[in-house]
Amino acid sequence: MRNEERDSWWGPVALLMFLIAFSMDLLVWQLSGGTELSLIVERMILGFTLAFGLTSFGLLLISLGAVHRHVRWQEQVMGLFLLTGLGLSLTNWQMDGSFDAMRGKSVILLSGVTAMLAALVLVFGLLLALVTGREHTPDPLLQMESTHGDVSIELED
Amino acid sequence: MSSLADPWIGFWLPLALLCLATGFWLTDRKDSRNRLSGPIFFVAVVLIVAFGSKTRGGDSSETALLAVLFHMLGPVALMTIGSLIATFAGPSPVGPLPRGLRPLGFLMAMGGLFWIGWMLISEPPDAIANGIGETIWGSWVDVFLSILILVAALAGSFCVMMGYERHKEALTLAGLTIAGGVMFNEIMRNGSEGLLAAGWHQIHWEEMMFLIGGLVGTLTAVLAFIALVYMAEKRAPDPDVVAPLSEEEKAVVDAVLRLHLEVEEAE
Repeated sequence: MRNEERDSWWGPVALLMFLIAFSMDLLVWQLSGGTELSLIVERMILGFTLAFGLTSFGLLLISLGAVHRHVRWQEQVMGLFLLTGLGLSLTNWQMDGSFDAMRGKSVILLSGVTAMLAALVLVFGLLLALVTGREHTPDPLLQMESTHGDVSIELED
Repeated sequence: MSSLADPWIGFWLPLALLCLATGFWLTDRKDSRNRLSGPIFFVAVVLIVAFGSKTRGGDSSETALLAVLFHMLGPVALMTIGSLIATFAGPSPVGPLPRGLRPLGFLMAMGGLFWIGWMLISEPPDAIANGIGETIWGSWVDVFLSILILVAALAGSFCVMMGYERHKEALTLAGLTIAGGVMFNEIMRNGSEGLLAAGWHQIHWEEMMFLIGGLVGTLTAVLAFIALVYMAEKRAPDPDVVAPLSEEEKAVVDAVLRLHLEVEEAE
C-alpha cells in the first residue's frame, strides 16, 4: 500500500505544475484583459516549426562532425537534412519569406533557451546543495575492506 | 574585417562551428578530428567576441542578445558559483570545502536571484532599453521567472514526496517559488523600470507562447533524431558469422592463458 502511494507521486506533482502554470496565465489574462486564442496558437506553431528546424540543423551539424565508418550515416544525415528543410521552410512560409524576421525569432528562441538553462541551474543547484547537506550515520558495510576475492567460509556443524 | 559585423558571419557561423566542434569532440580520441574540436571552439568564441565588440545593442537582434547575456552573466554566475560552494561545503566526499562557507554559498545563490530582482527596478542599459533589445530582455526575464516558479515548485514537491522528512529543503524551494512568484506578479501588475505592465503582457502573450511552442518543437526534433538513429540501426545488416577458432589458434590461446595463469600462481 505504501509503495503504491509512493509510485503515484508524479500525479499530484504534475497537477500542481499545471495549476501553477494555469494560474500564471490567468493572472496575466486578468491584468491584460485577455488576448485572441488564435494568436496564441499561431505563435506556438511558429515557435514549434522554427525550433524543430533549428534543432534538426544543429543535430545535423553534430552528426556530420561525428560521422565515422561504423555509423550508418546516410539515414541519419539525409533524415536530418529533410527535417531541417521541412522545419525552416514551414517557418519561412509562415513569416512570408522574410529571413530577417526568422533571424529575429531565432534570437528570441536562443534567449529563451539560455533563460531556461539559468533557471534550471539555480533550482537544481540549490536542490543538490540541500539534499547532499544531510549528515548520515556511517554505513558499516562501506567501512569494510576488500579481500580481493579471497573468501573462506567456515561451516558450523 | 568589416564583415565581422555581419550577423551571419559574426554570430550564426560561430554557432554552426560550435555544433561542428561538438561533433568532432564526440569522435574517437585517436581520430584526427578530435584534436580539431578545441581550436574550432576557440575560433567560434573569438568570432562571437569580435562581432560583439564591433556592433552596438541597437544594430541587430543578435547584438541585443549578446548584450542581454552579458547583462545576466553576473547574477547567473553568482547563482552557479554559490550553488557549487554550498554543495561542496557540505558533507561532500569529493573536494570538500570548509564548512563555514556553506551559508555563504546559499547567500550567493539567493543573491543572484535578488540581483535579477534589482535589475527589474533599476534603469536598464541602453542596449536593452528599447526595441528588439527590450523584447529579448523581457523574454529572458519572463521565461526565467516562469521556469523558476514551476521547477522550484516541482523540486519542493519532490522533496516532500520522497519522504525522509525533507521539510527544510522543501521550505527553501517553496521560498524560491514564492520569491519568483512575487517578482512575476509585480512586473505583470506594475511593470518594471523602463517597461510598462502592458509591455510585459505583450511579451508574455507573444514571446512566451512562441517559446512554449519552441520547447515542444525542440523535444520533437530530438525524438525525431532518436527515431532516425533507431531506423538506421534496425536496417543495418546482421554482422557476418565469425568462423570458429582453428586448431592452431586454439593452441595460441591455450599457450597465452597458461603463461598468464602460471605467472599469477608464481606471484
